[in-house]
Amino acid sequence: MSPRRYLLALGVPGLIWVVLFVTLALYSLLAIALGGIDPLLLTPVPAWNPVDWSTANVHEVAQSLQPFSGDTWIVFQRTCIYILLALAGCILIGYPVAYFTAVHAGRWRGPILALLVLPLLVSYMLRMLAWVGLLSPQGWVNAVLVPLHVVPANFGWLDGRAITVVSGLMYGWIPYFIIPVYAALARFDTRYLEASRDLGAGTGSTFLHVTLPMSRQGLLAGTVVVALPMFGDFFTNGLLSGVSSTGMVGTLINTYAESQTNQAVAAAVAVWLTVFLGILLLPYLRSSARAGREVGR
Amino acid sequence: MSSRLRHASWGKIGLVAIVVLYIVWSLAPVAIAFLFSFNAGYSRSTWQGFSMQWWTGSKSVFNLPIYTDAIRHSLLLAVLAVIITVPLGVSLSIFLSRWRGITARPASFLATVPLVVPELVLALALFFLVTKVNLPVVTLGTSGQVVGQVTFILPLVIVITIGRLSSIPTGYEEAAQDLGASPPQSFRLVLVPLLQPAILASAIVAFAVSIDDFVITQYMSSTSSTQSVPMLIYTATRGGATPALNAMATIMAVTTIVIAAVGFALYRLLARREQITDVPAPAPALAVSREGAL
Amino acid sequence: MAGGHIQITDLSRSYGDVLAVNHIDLEMVPGEFFSMLGPSGCGKTTTLRMIAGFEDPDSGQILLDGVDIRHTPPHKRPVNTVFQAYMIFPHLDVYENVAFGLRRQRVGKDELRRRVGAALELVQLEALAKRKPSQLSGGQQQRVALARALVLEPAVLLLDEPLGALDAKLRHQLQDELKTLQQTVGITFVYVTHDQEEALTMSDRIAVMSHGAVEQIGTPREVYDEPTTEFVADFLGISNLLSAQAVSGVPGECLLRVGEFLLTARGGETAARGQVKCVVRPERVNLEPAGATGHNRVPGTVERLVYLGSATRAIVRLDTGQTLQSLIPSDGQPVAFEEGIAVQLELPADALRVVKGGGGAAAPQAEHVLGDQLEGAADA
Repeated sequence: MSPRRYLLALGVPGLIWVVLFVTLALYSLLAIALGGIDPLLLTPVPAWNPVDWSTANVHEVAQSLQPFSGDTWIVFQRTCIYILLALAGCILIGYPVAYFTAVHAGRWRGPILALLVLPLLVSYMLRMLAWVGLLSPQGWVNAVLVPLHVVPANFGWLDGRAITVVSGLMYGWIPYFIIPVYAALARFDTRYLEASRDLGAGTGSTFLHVTLPMSRQGLLAGTVVVALPMFGDFFTNGLLSGVSSTGMVGTLINTYAESQTNQAVAAAVAVWLTVFLGILLLPYLRSSARAGREVGR
Repeated sequence: MSSRLRHASWGKIGLVAIVVLYIVWSLAPVAIAFLFSFNAGYSRSTWQGFSMQWWTGSKSVFNLPIYTDAIRHSLLLAVLAVIITVPLGVSLSIFLSRWRGITARPASFLATVPLVVPELVLALALFFLVTKVNLPVVTLGTSGQVVGQVTFILPLVIVITIGRLSSIPTGYEEAAQDLGASPPQSFRLVLVPLLQPAILASAIVAFAVSIDDFVITQYMSSTSSTQSVPMLIYTATRGGATPALNAMATIMAVTTIVIAAVGFALYRLLARREQITDVPAPAPALAVSREGAL
Repeated sequence: MAGGHIQITDLSRSYGDVLAVNHIDLEMVPGEFFSMLGPSGCGKTTTLRMIAGFEDPDSGQILLDGVDIRHTPPHKRPVNTVFQAYMIFPHLDVYENVAFGLRRQRVGKDELRRRVGAALELVQLEALAKRKPSQLSGGQQQRVALARALVLEPAVLLLDEPLGALDAKLRHQLQDELKTLQQTVGITFVYVTHDQEEALTMSDRIAVMSHGAVEQIGTPREVYDEPTTEFVADFLGISNLLSAQAVSGVPGECLLRVGEFLLTARGGETAARGQVKCVVRPERVNLEPAGATGHNRVPGTVERLVYLGSATRAIVRLDTGQTLQSLIPSDGQPVAFEEGIAVQLELPADALRVVKGGGGAAAPQAEHVLGDQLEGAADA
């Protein structure tokens, strides 16, 4: 067998898999979003042939995307605000943690790293389950805060509070944020810091002018790694709130998808979400491709 | 000078405090959830004394089929996901990194698409694929869940394996072929052994992600017999489930941690044994003394 | 072991727009140590990889002992390679690395042990058979690479800059060993290097390559002493080039005008006329005190003196503005010249060689390359 043909034989199963379960699956989503509705069963009918595409579903969603007042717009807006707040928390807490571990931890680096990875191995659902117990009206959080008069007795943390959802998102995804930031910081040579000190820069200005710019790529990667799943997250909301007033885009898609007759709308919202994220991601993909090329040299 | 030093050390103390508080914050709730699996009462939030009733006996996690089935199903999915994803991903990675042709670029883009769309979008897409296209074999249920998880995990395996492949010069395969190995032999006898650490790392990641996966597993599920542990936790948490739920979640977490720890230890061993020496530096004395120390 | 006979005709290979190997012809006769010498990007490694089978030629023919091997995959060619970074399999010990090829041939157990043992003995590595590659020095790894290839008794051994990764001292030692080894096993060695000293000390014949074309083929003495192109002269030593006007001359001789002086050259393209380049080895340039008279002498000023140990290099600026180098052998006495003084340079007529220009700096034009290639074929 020629090397080329053998290499092709190695690649073909994976290529078929990817074409079938990524390309064709995403095309199914598009075919549903741009498809019609069965007049009797009210279930979605996919339009496989682009000639048959109808923009009815997508248009319907687009109408509710009317700025500041459309239903879907409000959900998108809330989603963005929640995610920005959760990201801010991730950066404020996660960056110092990653920075310390990568630069100052010394011989503690290994053990600390293990503790940072541990939450990734404990399932997300278990970690949410833990907070549901702590945040319930008779839970340990209220047991501490009620006597201090921070919250009234039997305060319902889980009754649709934005603060609970945002904190939950942050708690759930921050371990995934820390790892790429750590990786980026650990890669860079601490001799740069010494050089900067040597050139007379203080601790503060060294951090500002050397460390921070060098960790930009890692911060960006960490942000993308956690922001993407947050845009599709409905389970954090489902467990910690369960009320539509704190619903996010993921909640919206999931709710539509659960009812047979609304699945086409779910598909249409998912398409809009993908378009929206594609626009957001474009600069990141460009910059990481560029960074990849630079490393490659 | 001394003021700056003191300043720097204050900063460092602050950093240490943040790290310690973060670690406590990230792990303490999990420990508490574990603790509640020993609660004497039925509550998962109010401590009512110590008891083993959720671990042994008729009310225990091991005696309720809904829990044991979920654990069994989760493990089944994880094992299948590892068995399929690792060979598929590793061979696809070899193709993507060694193929010199126009297919490689779009193919590697496609394979990593699941990393840049939210899992929910992929789950919905796979759900429509399975329900609207009559695929052979793949239906909602175990087969669909496995397919979905593999699709989701595949790009992670590819990222890990291609990273390692790019550090293995193509010269090793050429040397093998130069010495008379056919192309398949050169992959099997040289490339695969050199890829062992990456293969192991891929298997650990695939296992951990599969065990943890919720969205795709949920969307591709059919009857209650295809309920995985995360799915069960999701539906039971806000209901009146007993602390046996905490016990089940703990079992899964400990299983994953133990497997990952064993895998990591093995990885360290492999990575050390099969390090690729770069263009060698002439230091025979050093090499000998290092061996003497061993 | 009998050496293999390689005949390469009209071989070429391009990558995109870059012509890496440009229709070259080469012949390696059985049992010779043949070197391909040139700067990086000259096509020497690509040629080697085409002989090994790792690159497919765009056109041309590669005959090994009269058989066209162009469509034979690498693992079926009776040639073996010592790679630039050795590519010793890191997961196998020394013994298994050497046994790798024999195992592919399903050689019997006893024969395998005997042949691996003999190969390790040949490169003096018997004691290290159980070592892992990471425990070997660079020189030892190089020997493993040699043993691994030679154990298969190939007709031709291809070596891709095998000494490039080693330090200077080890390199000198291994040059001698490699030459001795080649004479012991008696097979054809095709050796790729960018180091002219390596090529000169070890080779029976050298092909000097540039920009995918063969500039000159000859014995080390021929390419060093009788370079036919400016590029070869430049690459094989210090560039000591003189621009001159070829005015007239009897056959076998050429009268050159350099500024207001006339020089006779008896080497190279003595039939050329007009603007030419003339090469002279620094060790053939004699420095004399100012005012010395005689034929083939030009005046200049010593610009710099560099003490090299075994000799002193003098850089002399001619009154015409060009610089020439002269190598004054050390005789235990201080050199009789100082920087800044006027001197007379003697350029013996038989040391002056008229050469063709181009070649090195700018990309060669098509006709030029064609000419070189015809020349190369004629030499071979």
